[in-house]
Formats: sequence, C-alpha cells, structure tokens
Amino acid sequence: MDINTYKAQKAKYYKVLVGLLLLTTLTFVQPHLFLENATFAIQLMIGAVKAWLIVMYYMHLKGETLIGWTVAFAIALVVIFFATVITDVNHFQFKDSSYITEQHASAGEHVQHHEE
Amino acid sequence: MSHEEHGHEYVPEIATARDGKKYEVQGWQGDFYGGKLGFWLFMLTEVMMFGAMFLTLTYYFSLHHDAFIEASSEFSVLLGGTNTVVLLISALTMGLGLLKMRAGDVKGAKLMIYATMILAVVFLAIKGVEWTEDYHEGIFLGLPALQAGNPDSRSFGEILFFGMYFTMTGLHGFHIIIGIGLMIWLLKRINAGKVTTEHHILHFNIALYWDLVHLIWVFVFPYFYMIGAGHGH
Repeated sequence: MDINTYKAQKAKYYKVLVGLLLLTTLTFVQPHLFLENATFAIQLMIGAVKAWLIVMYYMHLKGETLIGWTVAFAIALVVIFFATVITDVNHFQFKDSSYITEQHASAGEHVQHHEE
Repeated sequence: MSHEEHGHEYVPEIATARDGKKYEVQGWQGDFYGGKLGFWLFMLTEVMMFGAMFLTLTYYFSLHHDAFIEASSEFSVLLGGTNTVVLLISALTMGLGLLKMRAGDVKGAKLMIYATMILAVVFLAIKGVEWTEDYHEGIFLGLPALQAGNPDSRSFGEILFFGMYFTMTGLHGFHIIIGIGLMIWLLKRINAGKVTTEHHILHFNIALYWDLVHLIWVFVFPYFYMIGAGHGH
C-alpha cells in the first residue's frame, strides 16, 4: 500500500467515525427532543444507518460483489424468518399455558370463570 | 528480509501419478479471498444467533410494552452510552491497526491492537460496574425480584426484560473476552513473524470480528437503554 492510498484510507476511517459519533449523539438526544412516541422505531432506524456505515466502510464490504450478495442473501433469510415468526405469533393460541405471558393470572381467571 | 526468515516458506505437496510422473498439488495458503469469505460465513452464523435473540426480545416487547419501557428507564444511559463510545473508538483503533499493517508499519499496528485491547477492558470494567449496581439493587438472575411468585417479584414483563438483558449483554461480553483473547493471539503471531504486511489475513479477520462485536452493540444499546430513556425514573 503506497503512502497516498494509506492517507486516503485513514481519512475515510476518520470521516466514518465522525458520522458514527453524530448518529450516536442523535441516539442519546432523540427520546428527549423529538418523536418521543416513536422512540423504538427511530432508535432502530439510527442503528440501521450506523450498521450500514460499519459494514460498508469498517468491514470493507463496499465493492465486494460475491461476499456482498452472500451477506444480502443471509440477511434476507433472517428477514423472512422474522416475518414468518411475527405473523405466526400474531395468532398466538397458547397464551394460557405459555411461559412468556402471565399464565398464572390468566389461568386462574380461566379456572374461576369455569367455577362460576 | 526473506520469506524464510518470516516462517512463510511454502513447501509444495507433490503427488505421483501411476505413470510415475510427479505433479505439484494446488496449495491454498495464499488464498486471501477464500479466508475472508470463510470468515464472513462464520459471522453470518453469529447474525443468525443474535438475530433470533433480537426477534425474541421484539416479541416480548410487543407483549409487555409498558413493563419493558418501565424496566429500561432504570438503566444508566451514561454508563451504557460511555460503553457505546468506547466500542466506537475501539473499532477505529482496530481499523487503523489493520491499515498500518497493510502499509508496512508493523510497530504502529501493534500499538493500535494494544489500544483496542485496553478499550475492550474498559468496556468490560464499565459493564462490571453496571452489573454490580444492578445486583445491589436486587436485580440479577436468580435473585427474588426476578423470580415469579414471591412478594418481591417484579412484574412478569420486567422479569422477561431483565432476563433478556443479562443473557444478551452477557453473551456480548463473552464475545468481547474472546476478542481480547484473539488480539493476544494476533500479537503473538505478529511477534513470531507469522502475520506480516504480505500475509495479514488473520489480522484482517480479527478486525472483522471486532467490527461484528461493535455492530451487535449498536442494536443492543438502544434496545435495552434507550426505549425507556425519555420516561425518567
């Protein structure tokens, strides 16, 4: 690597750092300044932009065709997996017997209801 | 300095055919791209593992929205935020180290790896302070507050939130420890002349690993610290 390439790459690293620091600052102030009711969605969107910067520039994916498509394919699989599970759990049928909902309270109510 | 002094001398494997002719077997020792692709495939398995955890967390959040906001507001954004910046700077030092290695500045590369290791230890120390504070407040895996069915129990949603918090930040912390171990190994390989400006795939892949650890934190931090940040406790 010649000295000019080194300097150009180093400058790019610092530019990305500034971008990431600005986005991190935005992460800190957003819940107190704007769109307070959509904090979760906004925070994830900021996270996605930060992730894009990290993957493209710090992980050198920019310009990588084969690895880029491999990663895109894997992320697409994760998204399909997410969408399938979310669709399924929207029609969750086992709330009374599951360990992720308040089964004791609802099961108790259920029993009481029958006793009545 | 010759390649032999670096310990990179390549001794080809020779195969003998039935007719007695000798052929050199193709070697892949210098396959930088193959090494990179293989490591990306490993990292995608990590994405699947943490992805499943984030999916679980999102689903629990949809079931227990208010409890998650309430529990999140108890965390110190200052400590979590400091760790975010520490990891951010460590990603820079790791990247600059790789850049220096590729440019032939091996000493500078080693200094940057040392800097990254110090930042990693700082991250773990801050995380340790946080967990200790949580423990003294009665919030830790196994303590009564996080066990259902007793007078000190937190709400059901809060128990799920804190359970996921300790699981995910614990697994992430474990990755940080592994990262420090990898950096120690990398320094030993550099000192032994096995990782050089010409042969730096190990350095490249460990830098990728460190970026992945940073990337996971980019989502862990808002999920646990920020969703309740505007609600004050």
